[in-house]
Amino acid sequence: MIRFIFKAILRDKNRSVLPVTVVAIGVFLTIALSGYLSGMLGDMIDQTARFQTGHVKVMSRAYAENIDQMPNDLALMDIEALHEELNRDFPNYTWVNRINFGGIIDAPNENEQSKGQGAAMGMAIELFSKTSGETERLNLENSLVDGRLPQKSGEVLIGYEFAEKLGAKVGDELTFMGSTMYGSMAFASFEISGTVRFGVMAMDKGTVIIDFSDAQRILDMEDATGEIMGFRKEEVFMQDEVIEMRENFNAKYANDSDEFAPIMKTLGEQNSMGSYLDLVDSVSAMFVIIFVLVMSIVLWNTGLIGGLRRYQEFGIRLALGEEKGHIYRTMIFEAVIIGIIGSVIGTALGIIVTLLMQKYGIDISGMMKDATMMMPSTLRSKFSPQLLYIGFIPGLFAMVIGNMLSGIGIYKRETATLFKELEV
Amino acid sequence: MSEKIIVIENLVKRFPVGEGEFTALSDINLSFEKGEFSGIVGPSGSGKTTLLNIIGSLDSPTEGSCTVMGKRISDLSHKQSAQLRNMHIGFIFQVYNLLPVYTVFENVEFALLLQKRSATARKKAVMEALEWVGLEKMADKKPSKLSGGEGQRVAIARAMVKRPELVLADEPTANLDAKNAHAILQTMKKLNEELKTTFLFSTHDEKVMAYLNRLIHLEDGKVAQDEWVTAKSTR
Repeated sequence: MIRFIFKAILRDKNRSVLPVTVVAIGVFLTIALSGYLSGMLGDMIDQTARFQTGHVKVMSRAYAENIDQMPNDLALMDIEALHEELNRDFPNYTWVNRINFGGIIDAPNENEQSKGQGAAMGMAIELFSKTSGETERLNLENSLVDGRLPQKSGEVLIGYEFAEKLGAKVGDELTFMGSTMYGSMAFASFEISGTVRFGVMAMDKGTVIIDFSDAQRILDMEDATGEIMGFRKEEVFMQDEVIEMRENFNAKYANDSDEFAPIMKTLGEQNSMGSYLDLVDSVSAMFVIIFVLVMSIVLWNTGLIGGLRRYQEFGIRLALGEEKGHIYRTMIFEAVIIGIIGSVIGTALGIIVTLLMQKYGIDISGMMKDATMMMPSTLRSKFSPQLLYIGFIPGLFAMVIGNMLSGIGIYKRETATLFKELEV
Repeated sequence: MSEKIIVIENLVKRFPVGEGEFTALSDINLSFEKGEFSGIVGPSGSGKTTLLNIIGSLDSPTEGSCTVMGKRISDLSHKQSAQLRNMHIGFIFQVYNLLPVYTVFENVEFALLLQKRSATARKKAVMEALEWVGLEKMADKKPSKLSGGEGQRVAIARAMVKRPELVLADEPTANLDAKNAHAILQTMKKLNEELKTTFLFSTHDEKVMAYLNRLIHLEDGKVAQDEWVTAKSTR
């Protein structure tokens, strides 16, 4: 009988092609959209972690309260000892210094007169450290448009759009004007070693990146830093782990009333990321639930149409002596086969599209010209192992449930009534 | 002919219509013996198909009894009814009702699958049945490639392949031209004579009546006449 069922599925295009197509499309859409959703939402989390929040961040309490103002006058002091403590207590994390600073960048022409000026959003990172992993974390090598990464003190990377706005190119001198940690004026000259494009318009339009030691020197921040960011060594954000770390770390300083005492914050506690993380979870769950409901209804209807079309066949089979229960079970068996075939096709297509979208993405930089929010200008999907079953299982179940519901009519009716309805 | 394979006593069949009831069959008393080649004849709406459905255990009487192969239809469960049809009764319909996705061979084989016979036994029985109807060379053809007459011959092979004691044929020639109708009827007559299979027709076709040995005339759900005749046609 199984051989007969397979033959019928293969030969009867109406029995197989339409439901398989419906299941495959549904599963494909679930996987592709789910991959896209987690890619887009995950990108934003990842990008925010890498550039702004770390997986955890240690700051002074006062700095944390005024973080929007980049208050380097409230910076953490005695950071060497703090690093020792962090490395000892949390060896699975890499701890790196960051200083965010603001100022004016001036690009002089050959006559030493200003040819362009702009407000800079400065970021000092451990560029020259072999162990910090910052150049890889910020993907600087791949973000280079021109030139190279800074190799010595006095060199700067500048956002590509910013360089264009200033009329500056690799090798040109730039002058930075800002204020030190103690409030006095800070001036420094840099040579552009390279231009970068992060794909985040807000950064590309105003970022300058210098080495951390240069920033300490210019901003008078000896043994001080604005922030110490912690990144899990595998670069994977672990929500539960960082919450425990934060509790342990902050408990040690709970009785310290100094506003410069360190405080640790998790990614979820910064930049309204907590509600964003919750949103990601609930949107993903909602998405799968809606899919299962919609697909069940669609496949129920597909099953009904298929069932109606096959009333004559069921009538013949009844007359030949097949039991209603057996007919019903073979319908479900067919649904399982079709559900599996459709789900496999849909999953394969969904994974392929997700992987392609992960590699190439959709460039939306044209729409992001004036954006100031931290958002990637290339939208990418993200493959995760859960995509292998997130569409497959609902696809299979929706098909089976749809057929079970539509087949109940056959199972419940009296044979004679059914036989008459079958128009045999 | 002495073994009674169908016994119908005081049979009444009513169908609910709106808030009332419609009596399709009333006070039917009949019996059929093994090897009969009989027909229930009468105009449309006289109750022929209803009676055939009850005999085929597709329906059950409202009152009275219908016993087929010693089994009282109204006492049978769904499963037992299916088993009775599967093992003892063959159906031939007005439209041939072949399963379009299967070949001629597979259509005939399907009835045996339900009996869980081995592949070898099925193949032997199917080819034999196709030989009876002269279609052994068409075994691999799909029903869509067959003519009307060939389609009905496959339906006969499907009904006969399991060697049932009883074949119920509901207007089997209604969609056939005269030449094919005669060919079909001759085939059935031959099987009736060789295999001693009981054939019970529902028909109002004169061509069919000419082959029958017994005519039961139904009028408004009642037996108007039950006559034994000498078959006029043996062509």
